[in-house]
Amino acid sequence: MLWLFALIAGVLFGLYYGLAALGLNLIFGVMRMVNLAHGDVIMLGGFAAVLLFDRFGVNPLVTVLLVIPPSLLVGYLTYYLLGRRVQRSRDPEMMSLVMFFGVSQVIEAVAVIAFGNNEASITSAVFGARPFSIAGQGVPGAWLVSAGVGLVALLLLFLYLYRTSLGRATRAIMSSPDEARAVGVNPDRISALTFGIGVGLAAIAGILSLFMIGGTTPSEGVDLTVTAFAVIVLGGLGSPMGTFLGGIVFGLALMFTQTFAPAWSGFAPFAILLAIMLLRPTGLLGRTVRSV
Amino acid sequence: MSSIAQRLRAGAGAVGRRPRRQVVGDVLLVVVPPAGFLVASLVYNNQLLLLTMMVYVALAQGLNVIFGFTGYLPFGYVGFFGAGAYGTALSVHFLHAPIALAILLGGLAGLLVAALLSPLLRLTGAYFAIASLAAAEALYYLISNPQLTAVTNGPYGVNLASVYNSGAAYLAAVVLVGVAMLCVVWVRRSHFGMALRAIRADPLAARLAGVNVVRARTIAWLISATLAGLAGAIYAWAVSVFYPEAVFDLSISVFAIVFALFGGVGTVLGPLLGAVILYGVYNYIGVSQPQDFQLIYGVLIVLIVLFLPNGLLSIRLRRLWRGR
Amino acid sequence: MLIPRTRTVGLAALSALLTIGLAACGAASTTASSGAPKDIVIGTLYSGSGSFANSSLPEFQGLKFWISQENAGGGVYVKAFNKKIPIKLVALNDQSSTTTATTEYEQLVTQDNINIFVPDFGSVLTLPAVTIAQEHHMLLFDQTATGSPLFTPGNQYIVLCDLPLSAIWPDPLGHFILAQHISRVAILYGANDFDATQAATVKSVLAQGGVTPVYYQAVPTATTSYGTLLHDIAATNPQAVIELGYASNDIPFLQAVQQGGYHFGMVVTAFPGQQYTLIENAVGKAGLSYTYTYGVPPYIKFNKVSEGLGTNAFISQFGHGSIANVSFENVAGYNTGLIIQAALGHATKFTQLGMRSALFALSGHFTTLDGAFKLNSEGGQVGELLPLAQFFPAGTGNAIKIVYPPASADHAPVYPAP
Repeated sequence: MLWLFALIAGVLFGLYYGLAALGLNLIFGVMRMVNLAHGDVIMLGGFAAVLLFDRFGVNPLVTVLLVIPPSLLVGYLTYYLLGRRVQRSRDPEMMSLVMFFGVSQVIEAVAVIAFGNNEASITSAVFGARPFSIAGQGVPGAWLVSAGVGLVALLLLFLYLYRTSLGRATRAIMSSPDEARAVGVNPDRISALTFGIGVGLAAIAGILSLFMIGGTTPSEGVDLTVTAFAVIVLGGLGSPMGTFLGGIVFGLALMFTQTFAPAWSGFAPFAILLAIMLLRPTGLLGRTVRSV
Repeated sequence: MSSIAQRLRAGAGAVGRRPRRQVVGDVLLVVVPPAGFLVASLVYNNQLLLLTMMVYVALAQGLNVIFGFTGYLPFGYVGFFGAGAYGTALSVHFLHAPIALAILLGGLAGLLVAALLSPLLRLTGAYFAIASLAAAEALYYLISNPQLTAVTNGPYGVNLASVYNSGAAYLAAVVLVGVAMLCVVWVRRSHFGMALRAIRADPLAARLAGVNVVRARTIAWLISATLAGLAGAIYAWAVSVFYPEAVFDLSISVFAIVFALFGGVGTVLGPLLGAVILYGVYNYIGVSQPQDFQLIYGVLIVLIVLFLPNGLLSIRLRRLWRGR
Repeated sequence: MLIPRTRTVGLAALSALLTIGLAACGAASTTASSGAPKDIVIGTLYSGSGSFANSSLPEFQGLKFWISQENAGGGVYVKAFNKKIPIKLVALNDQSSTTTATTEYEQLVTQDNINIFVPDFGSVLTLPAVTIAQEHHMLLFDQTATGSPLFTPGNQYIVLCDLPLSAIWPDPLGHFILAQHISRVAILYGANDFDATQAATVKSVLAQGGVTPVYYQAVPTATTSYGTLLHDIAATNPQAVIELGYASNDIPFLQAVQQGGYHFGMVVTAFPGQQYTLIENAVGKAGLSYTYTYGVPPYIKFNKVSEGLGTNAFISQFGHGSIANVSFENVAGYNTGLIIQAALGHATKFTQLGMRSALFALSGHFTTLDGAFKLNSEGGQVGELLPLAQFFPAGTGNAIKIVYPPASADHAPVYPAP
């Protein structure tokens, strides 16, 4: 039953990948900014969990809640100090990429100074030492916790976007900034808030990454950013639901190749991404746009 | 629509009757940069640094052709660089090609990969950027795969010591800079370049005005990829032993993009200035402040974007306008 | 549209800038006179950040410790001039990037007038230095790069200082498995030169004893999730599971073994011996107990040495008396210094090839805290062998004990793991 385990693992990892990419998609959807430092924020989330656990014995699930207020603050400041200026340039999508490349370098350098270069982690025994049985397969408890947190985050994001006035304003900006402005939505305020939410989601993903990918180190940001980009493009830009679908496709591709052709497990997810892009140029759940 | 058609016709006219001063300027643009690098190698003997700088000039200009003139930004640009490096290595190993031919075959490898990926041009914006990145990653995992060791030598890397010649590699890179400058000058001045800019401004209108949009974009894409393939080929020759991760390093893409954008894309001089200055600064910091290398470079890039968001050449333009 | 004159001015300014900038970078180069140099300049790179930093920095510390020791005693003894000469260190930061490392190696060799050329940690970052060393006729004091493409028959300009070639690392491991009559072996390795070479060696040693692995697969070096792979490995009912990767692979692998509740008779990973403190912090005490790894200094001890400090003296001086403060990389960096010291102290001529022949003359007759120094004809290290070690629970952590080969063992192996 190798395939059954690969299926379960693929879906659970997919939900984690979805969570890890969600914030990036939100920021891109609202601000058209490419946050190349996204993976570095995930890394910082991981270090936050390790430090709080080592120093004060804080359970990582509590840290999930604790990182939210500082993330909102950081996101707010980042938008007003950096993001807003770049949005006024001639090509905000691409200049934001260059700027956040710089930000990513700074975060990594500061993380090295603050935490050192070593891999940091929390032993997975905090979520129970024994695996849980699902359909006769022994699945690590930490995987279930991560997937669960991912689902809760998705649900809350949906409630926010569809049931609150701020959320409705956010969606208005995502579909058309000019029209949103015309009906009295303040794009700066919404953008700053969205940036904060995006940072917070990334930080939460970072806490879980300790249990999904073994630990955190200052240099891991680039790989995580690349994976997150692949996931949001697979699912469709501007679609939170699509991000999770993209994550699951990515996770399944990885786990099935790990099972049946491990040497190709780096190749397969990207090859599948290419194939899907050629069939559906706007991702699985992306809105179709006019193209020539 | 009609205004585009007029502009195209006017552009075509301008191609025919170009003022002499402009021709002189264009020739200088193609000749002076390579000459500068030749002179530089006489006063400064870290030739590998200069060679890498030239490779980045070619990459930044190659990106300029596709991004500056069509608006398509390939994140995975390094894929063509790696394809060029491996195209050359495999030509030497299996075809026993002389190195000059092997380098041209490296350029051809870049071109072939681009031709294979040309359906990606149907994608737009960030989708295109990430899809090209996925292509580069897939190519890396293919080439470094242990199961393909018989073909690519897989993870064990490549050794070109049998054809190693540092002086000749340097000259090849000098020629490459000239070729890259020539490509951009040509794209900028030619009817073809006019068509590209018309497409960039409004694809629908350009098509109505009779421009073959798909063909024009594809040609720009192939030129851009060939330049990267040649750059990879010459770099491979110059370093002569390397593991696959060295020529598929994503930071090569990021550096080329940052250099091109810093200088100003869509111009002839911008990417050249961007690569020379920013890569120079990068190495200067690396040598003088090794402790805080990454931090200083990161802060510098953030400051550049904040205070020079439209590229280096935007200053000159502004001054120029004020001067008039 | 820009007027051409401005462009020409721009170009002129650019070439001027280029020339001035480069001239400024290129410090005045003074050729060494026939007499003794004022100081011995050692040029090296380290990774201040990036994926190799956690190995590179401790190695760099070890080298700096050797330099400070020598300089405290008035400098390193240079036989060719029959006197002690102070050491000057030029160190650049490559941030784990091979592209950056390449230009910085060239910088050291062409601009900084170095006498001794020491590359960064590991095969990936050392490889670009090999061509440069050959081109400029500098002897490369390769620290820990053990991969196969580094050593070629025609190349005189490399010696491997601190580790044996990766092809001979797992030799004792393979023989231990045969000696224990383990017949079901699973091998999972990273798709890179360093790990693939080791995997091939284990496989061929096992083949000598008629054992074929039940699982033999490569995964990309970037792999960080091992849960599914372990599930598939467990399905082959192996007695021994060998994972050959970098520290960034070993940590998630060992975690996944715990998370999945797997129990194998023997689990082997490469880096816990080299980075014990770091990896135990990440995976916890139980994650390492009864697993195996390569036994490296300072856990194998050499106190009768022909050059430098012995293991115990090094632990007391560098690690302030505690072995927990000393990693293998610290020893490796210090040992690089000792090999340099031996080369300078025995070469009758102060030339690159003079140093090389001095080291070849010492090969086989020379022991440091890193073991017996022995070179093959290509400059590869074939002494300093790595025995097999096992972790045993002790107090709040684990103790590393050498369990094979019997001649150097200080503890009996516990197989299968309880």
